[in-house]
Amino acid sequence: MPSPAALLAKYTPAAVTAGRPLAVLGVDGVVVLEGEARVPARLEHLSARGKWVRDLQVPDGTREAVAHLARRYGIVWASEWGPNAHLALAGVLGLPAAPWPYLPVQFNKLAAIREYAAGRPWVWIDDPVVDLDPLPGEPGGVIVRVDPARGLAGLDLSVIDEAVFGPAA
Amino acid sequence: MSDVTTTHATEAAADTGTAYGLELGGPLDDLARVGPGTPFGEVLRRYWHPISKAEKATTTPRRVKVLGEELILFRTRRGEPALLHPRCIHRGASLYYGGVEEDGIRCCYHGWVFDPQGHCLEQPCEPDLGQHRDKVRQPWYPVRERYGLVWAYLGPAGKKPVLPRYDVFETIPEGQQLIVNDAGVGGGGPEVLDFNWLQHWENVMDPFHVPILHARFSGEQFTAEMAVIPEVTFEYTPVGVRSTQIRKLDDQRALRRRTEVMFPNLRVVPSPRLTPGPTNLIGWVVPEDDTTFRIFTLAVHEDPDFLVKLRSTFGGKPWAELSEEEHRRMPGDYEAQKSQGPISLHSEDHLTTTDQGVAMLRRMMARQIRAVTAGDDPVGVIRDPADEIVGITGGNFFLTREEALAEGLVDA
Ligand code: FES
Ligand SMILES: [Fe+2]
Repeated sequence: MPSPAALLAKYTPAAVTAGRPLAVLGVDGVVVLEGEARVPARLEHLSARGKWVRDLQVPDGTREAVAHLARRYGIVWASEWGPNAHLALAGVLGLPAAPWPYLPVQFNKLAAIREYAAGRPWVWIDDPVVDLDPLPGEPGGVIVRVDPARGLAGLDLSVIDEAVFGPAA
Repeated sequence: MSDVTTTHATEAAADTGTAYGLELGGPLDDLARVGPGTPFGEVLRRYWHPISKAEKATTTPRRVKVLGEELILFRTRRGEPALLHPRCIHRGASLYYGGVEEDGIRCCYHGWVFDPQGHCLEQPCEPDLGQHRDKVRQPWYPVRERYGLVWAYLGPAGKKPVLPRYDVFETIPEGQQLIVNDAGVGGGGPEVLDFNWLQHWENVMDPFHVPILHARFSGEQFTAEMAVIPEVTFEYTPVGVRSTQIRKLDDQRALRRRTEVMFPNLRVVPSPRLTPGPTNLIGWVVPEDDTTFRIFTLAVHEDPDFLVKLRSTFGGKPWAELSEEEHRRMPGDYEAQKSQGPISLHSEDHLTTTDQGVAMLRRMMARQIRAVTAGDDPVGVIRDPADEIVGITGGNFFLTREEALAEGLVDA
């Protein structure tokens, strides 16, 4: 596998607010981009300022799930949508105007995530197709694979919180 | 000293981002490589592939390379095409030197004869022409002829699918004909393209390069309409990825251009010269190996030279006649894609808006690898002969002002 330094040497992602654990999101791990959603969802017509258009399904509860993560974690996009993940999804997911940092990677993202996290705790939430290579037994953080027909709304976020922050008091 | 100078001076002092100590990533081998046992090589081995023009399968044996495998293509004197492994199972002489006979090919060394299914018909130096000749088998692959092409299936025996038909080639209108081309139409370069096939196939889902590479750089290669940056919608289809490009034309009409990739390697790129209606041409991007591929193209048209005339010219000159300086000054698809490297370093890509279609295609490829690994069929594999006709949706569709208005494509 190529060195993660290779990518991050030529691209400098913005920093996230210090102190909080990271939640690294793949776009396919959040909304439903392919096929029919297996949960109630709203069809959205997305556009990155008229340059490209894609229809996608946003399962009910996705906005709230993203907001929940944003309250506890520093959010980082890690996807092939690059800078457009935030730009295109801001409206439908109610994201802040100031974009979250992004890692422009599509497959085998772990090395870039670890390098970016630089020792901070992290959870990486994505759909399973991104793993071409097998994941190591000790990834150094929490990896959550979602059903791409349900997206983020199909997850129990309290389980993730517990895995990252430890059992609630 | 102005502010700008100050900023530059500060940056210069820091010298960040220089190429010193440059580390480069690598290719996505799982998607790009095609040899036996590679992940996508196995996906490709679940479909039929065009490997030659039918007229080039003759009684003279010919070396062909497909998916990293060296093979021998010939046609028996009875007219049956055959694709055999070159190494004779007797003691290894190449069947390239063999002599084609009524029902098969005779090895030049000791004369064993093999039919198109690899059965040994004769061992002339053995008692009774080989009492045990039916116990051996020369490795072979199934081939079929259709649409003026020879198609081969290089996959596991139990998984051989139905050889598809395509709706656009099933009925040839009066006065038109089926045109077959194996000379790299759409590649913008030589007949055999000398870099990884995926660089070319991905390019089909990259409509944003058209107004840049083919207009700003190469000087309006197609038509004025194509120089406009379009609004592009990307979507998955059951068998691939499709992009729909809407261009608002000056005369209040709109052009809806649909381009498709269909698994495992079809390029549905309607004529860039904007022949209206459903596409009249389809290409297959067939890897010879990891760093060489061919494009086989079929078209329906009244002019037998339609595909040849489709080839881009650069300042009025065909690609093959350009000087190095002209290649540099007017790069086209070939220069752009070959310069990505023998196999592009995909992990180095900084993916963004322009790459949405490419990323969707790569994702769909990764999914087919999973399907095949799990023992399932990848998309587009046909099992029921009743489903043999594949529908093509690509084309150039001109909408009148009323139609464009009704669909909200132009402003009232
Ligand atoms: S701008 Fe796309 S390859 Fe350079
Ligand atoms: Fe092109």
